[in-house]
Amino acid sequence: MTPSREGARIALAVGAALALGFAIMACVSDQPWAALRALLTGPLPSIERAVDGRVVVHRLVRFGAWLQDATTLTLVGLAIAIPFRARQFSLGADGQLFMGALAAAVVSLGVGDVPAAIALPLAFLAAAAAGAAWGLVAGLLKTRFEANEIVTTLMLNVVAVQVYRLVVGRVLNDPTAGFITTPPLPDAATLAPLIARTTVTAMVLVAPAAVAAALFLLRRTTLGYEIDLAGANPWFAVRAGVPVARATVLAFALGGAFAGLAGFHVSNALLKRLPIDLTPGIGLEGIVVALLARGRVGALPLAALGYAYLRVGAQAMERATDVPREVVLVIQALIILFVVSDRLAPLALGLARRTGARVRARIGGRAA
Amino acid sequence: MTPAAAPPAAPPAAPPLAPSSAIALEKVEKRYPDGTLANSGVSFAVAAGETHALVGENGAGKSTVMKMLYGLERPTAGILRVHGRPVDFRHPGDAIAAGIGLVAQHLNLVASLTVAENVVLGHEPRRPGGRLDRVAAAARVRELVEQSGLAVDPTATVASLPVGVRQRVEILKVLHRGARILLLDEPTAVLTPPETATLFATLRQLAAAGRTVLVITHKLDEVKALAGGVTVLCQGRVTGSARMAELDEGALSHLMVGRELSPPAPRRVAGARPAPRIVARGLGYVDDDGAIRLRDVGFDVAPGEILGIAGVEGNGQDVLARLLSGAAIPSAGDARLDGRVFTGLSPRAARALGVAVVTEDRLHDGAAPTLSILDNLLATRYAHPPLSRRGLIDRRTARRWAQAVIDGFGVRAAGPYQPMGALSGGNMQKLILAREIADAPAFLVASQPTRGVDIAAAAALHTRLAALRDQGAAILLISADLDELLALSDRIGVLYRGRIVARFEAGAVDAQTLGLHMTGLGPRRERGDHDAVA
Repeated sequence: MTPSREGARIALAVGAALALGFAIMACVSDQPWAALRALLTGPLPSIERAVDGRVVVHRLVRFGAWLQDATTLTLVGLAIAIPFRARQFSLGADGQLFMGALAAAVVSLGVGDVPAAIALPLAFLAAAAAGAAWGLVAGLLKTRFEANEIVTTLMLNVVAVQVYRLVVGRVLNDPTAGFITTPPLPDAATLAPLIARTTVTAMVLVAPAAVAAALFLLRRTTLGYEIDLAGANPWFAVRAGVPVARATVLAFALGGAFAGLAGFHVSNALLKRLPIDLTPGIGLEGIVVALLARGRVGALPLAALGYAYLRVGAQAMERATDVPREVVLVIQALIILFVVSDRLAPLALGLARRTGARVRARIGGRAA
Repeated sequence: MTPAAAPPAAPPAAPPLAPSSAIALEKVEKRYPDGTLANSGVSFAVAAGETHALVGENGAGKSTVMKMLYGLERPTAGILRVHGRPVDFRHPGDAIAAGIGLVAQHLNLVASLTVAENVVLGHEPRRPGGRLDRVAAAARVRELVEQSGLAVDPTATVASLPVGVRQRVEILKVLHRGARILLLDEPTAVLTPPETATLFATLRQLAAAGRTVLVITHKLDEVKALAGGVTVLCQGRVTGSARMAELDEGALSHLMVGRELSPPAPRRVAGARPAPRIVARGLGYVDDDGAIRLRDVGFDVAPGEILGIAGVEGNGQDVLARLLSGAAIPSAGDARLDGRVFTGLSPRAARALGVAVVTEDRLHDGAAPTLSILDNLLATRYAHPPLSRRGLIDRRTARRWAQAVIDGFGVRAAGPYQPMGALSGGNMQKLILAREIADAPAFLVASQPTRGVDIAAAAALHTRLAALRDQGAAILLISADLDELLALSDRIGVLYRGRIVARFEAGAVDAQTLGLHMTGLGPRRERGDHDAVA
């Protein structure tokens, strides 16, 4: 499908979902228009000229929340999309993210008093390595023991989250904090915000760079080619002499590395310390992002921006109006349903064309 | 009509449509949504009770005609008539209701069910409560068997039947639904010579009973043996239509191919035979179920020699090809290339030693249909210069090479980025062979290299194989096509139940004799000593 058609398709799907969502809002809310407005404009900052003539930017926090959410989603999207190139349904981004975050925190707290130029790269690499290692386990279980990757990655998520809680609660616990958490990470190991009053850091640039790196790897390297071939037809790949098992394992590990970076983003950019009750689940949102991008790595940032926009807009709607959170979740789910329903848009477009033709014919008939 | 009067560019005027035509196409056009013009101005008619052959190269639009007649595709222009009435089939149910049945190239049977259950599937006799009436089903199938003369045991499980019998089940299925018009898409592609003969007898009987048969085929002799009339398609258009009585084989061949075929590549002149390059000894294979699939197979192949392997499908050819290409580990024995063992390793290791393979089923493990031509060509060569350096693929060199292959092998394709799956079988097979011989292998295992490929493409593939042989490669040619084996091989071995039961010098044997040995009926010719003919 051409990009323009694909764009029209997605616009149609989102439009249809919003229309249906609005109908639901109208049923449960006294102020459906306000709710829709909050949903659609929530993540945007508002720029106003104050009484004294200065330009004031409001709601930067939400704008920042949008960008940082998109950063995380892009990275966990990569963690799903890369194994999917090898036709592996990895659901393990959550576990990989937790391991990445933990490794980044451990290294940050452990390196002691070193300059940022050393502490940051070390924590960054530790996170990537930990995520990759966690992905590697799922890959090896699949290729060595033919363990179904859907099951193993979900189970490895459970293991990773509990290991994380164990380490944060028993080993890294900061007794002075008043809640169970690690001590704050040293300043040298954390990223400063790029935009004041937000948590938008250099990671917002790392995410597209990560996508570019992944694209280069998949398109230009022999490993990327092996992953593609293993996914497209493993039987053929084996007969052609391609190391299919190795490519599959490395696809898991590569995906895991990016999820690990998402963990670094959480620990060293957003929270700057790791609480024991860090909520799992963002890794699973990576599946949604990969679905929206239809498995195309290059489309991940766009899909992540769109989905993050919706998530932040939904939060805004929840806070500003009487629309309950459940409805917000329903609308999010509807959008995904519409976008992934391949044949819906062609059907609708065809119907629109036929109706248009009929209307034109009728008008033309009258004119004649 | 003479072939010379039918240049491809000028389709003949629509033949007069007899009122008794069972099927008639009038200026039918089929354009797919992606713009591909599969059929254009196609007109021909088949009289009731006639057996009509639809011939032409791969990609000529024959299957599209079948699909339109069976309601799988709708023509974008023109009229289809069945028994004189214009029809508009929206799905196969409409075509079945109009008395049309399709026997597809790939058989659609449920292997775990019995013959009777398969035949009635979809139109079952029922007992009260909606349950299948097995007794009535078996009785119905027995009745069909008697009427049609198709010998099948209704209670047998389909999984236990050879492919020729399965095809009969497919035909019974069509008859059960009351088809008066039978469409067969390359029915003999999967059959052995005796099975083909049986099928032809059946088809003649059906035609004699008043049924109309439209059959797609690539093979001249089949047209000759079967059809009363023939229509030739080329690039989506009708380029010739004739009564068989008016044609001899040469004229028909000319009509089908549009030019004279180059004669098969001459066999290598036998001088003093050089030392063997491939030495296989005692190869055996026991599958996971404990069945012996291959037993004590040994042979030699000299450089510049083609060893043909004949056999009815399922007698161990697939296993032999897998063992020799590293895709399966032999249970016994080994094979050596210039003295080095290359079996029992891996496909990658075998390839590194100079072994190449054209697999039997190109869509399963010979190509990646969803990937581009370029990516398919790369599969065996991407890891080395000039196509990659230090882990980076040189896309520009790769693209140039792919374009050169497309041009050099006469592949009809839009370019290197076209998906492999969009190509016809013949074009796909050309690319696969091109890939496998690109690195000048020392040993090529070619399984069914021209299966389902049109005459012109098959001739081109044969020429390439002969050229590879002349460069000094050893070739093992496994084929169900005896003409191909006899034309290309220097020697021929016959596999029967996993053993080589007979060996011949290719010049000293004919198809009849090979056929006898393939079915286990020949006098035992194996001399026990593998070197006897080597």
